[in-house]
Amino acid sequence: MSVLDKIYEKAKQDPQKVAFPEAANEKMMQAAYETGKEGYIIPVLVGNAAELEALAAERGYDVSVFQIVDIHDEAYKNSVIERYVALEDTRLKEKALGRRMEDSLYFAMAMQKIGDADVTFAGIDNTTGDVLLAGQMIIGLKPGISTISSIGLCDIPGYEGSEGSLLAVGDSAVCTNPNPEQLASIAISACDTVHELLDWEPRCAMISYSTLGSGQGELIDKVTQALAIANEQRPDLNIDGEFQLDAAIVPAVAAKKVTRESKVAGKANVLIWPDLNVGNTAVKLIQQFGHADAYGPMLQGFNSIVCDCSRGAPVSEIKGNVVISAVRAAGSKSNR
Amino acid sequence: MERKELEQKIIELVAISYNKDEAELSLETSFKNDLGGASVQMVALVAEIENELDATITLQDASACATIAELVDVVAEEL
Repeated sequence: MSVLDKIYEKAKQDPQKVAFPEAANEKMMQAAYETGKEGYIIPVLVGNAAELEALAAERGYDVSVFQIVDIHDEAYKNSVIERYVALEDTRLKEKALGRRMEDSLYFAMAMQKIGDADVTFAGIDNTTGDVLLAGQMIIGLKPGISTISSIGLCDIPGYEGSEGSLLAVGDSAVCTNPNPEQLASIAISACDTVHELLDWEPRCAMISYSTLGSGQGELIDKVTQALAIANEQRPDLNIDGEFQLDAAIVPAVAAKKVTRESKVAGKANVLIWPDLNVGNTAVKLIQQFGHADAYGPMLQGFNSIVCDCSRGAPVSEIKGNVVISAVRAAGSKSNR
Repeated sequence: MERKELEQKIIELVAISYNKDEAELSLETSFKNDLGGASVQMVALVAEIENELDATITLQDASACATIAELVDVVAEEL
């Protein structure tokens, strides 16, 4: 059974409410319908209800699969606003939120913030920037986390690591040049993400061109400072470094280069790149030369799960990302 | 709102969003060099401006401002 099959199975056991603010989009509605019909999620379409109902009927879908929320339903909108502003950790006040909620992306996220949805799934009509801004403004960041970031899950044929052919890597897509505090946040978020999604006990390596001081310089200092921050903030997590890639994932190399006790060296299942130049290149190397499937990028760092899909994504990829988001949402609830 | 009043209000909102003392800030304060601006703080500032001044500005426009004075210009256009 592939990793994606296992995730699909997991989703079915506890279907989550996924809000789709771009549901009028044909591909998005198809993905919402199929994942809902097959029992992986409860699809909540957010937008102009009359338009969405007409489109669903026109496209031959059984409308009863969907929950449809009308952004023009003033009574419900006011109820969302009232419950949102009553929360402690929210940024927008009543009037500003009401204005933003004219946009279904903000409406969906406000629903998620108050618990009427578990995930917001967007990005096919909105840009990544739109989704990140709305997420930061409405959902907010997890306490102690200083940046939004992402991880990818690589399934690498022939790789025999500590999780078989799987390896989580980040950030390869969002945070361009993290400072030490942000790099620590990326590592912490990555550990939480793999635990929520895959039930792994994370062993997270901070990657560098140096292993435990074999090199010196400011590029390494950034990584060691980040490690210190991460270990101080989350002593419960196994985050270690700085390690070269081989020292992180190859037991024989770790035995040679890492001369102190480490729960991570040689058996890391999460790799954290020092910046996006490395991260983006590394994931492409894994895909090109390792012929790997890379799932993601999965956004992390938000208070709850927000997913941004690629604008050119086919329906099959959108469905996979919807189900991954739903399983993360279920996992983050059970970890609370 | 008078320009002077707007300038003072925006300095107050920058201080809240970036967790700084108002006395440390001026119209010449640079977001990049003096505040080490992360996008998270800029998001907070855009939200504060929306809440307090009823002006909706984009994150892109706010992020393009080098100084507080430039941000005041952007907000003034929206009022």
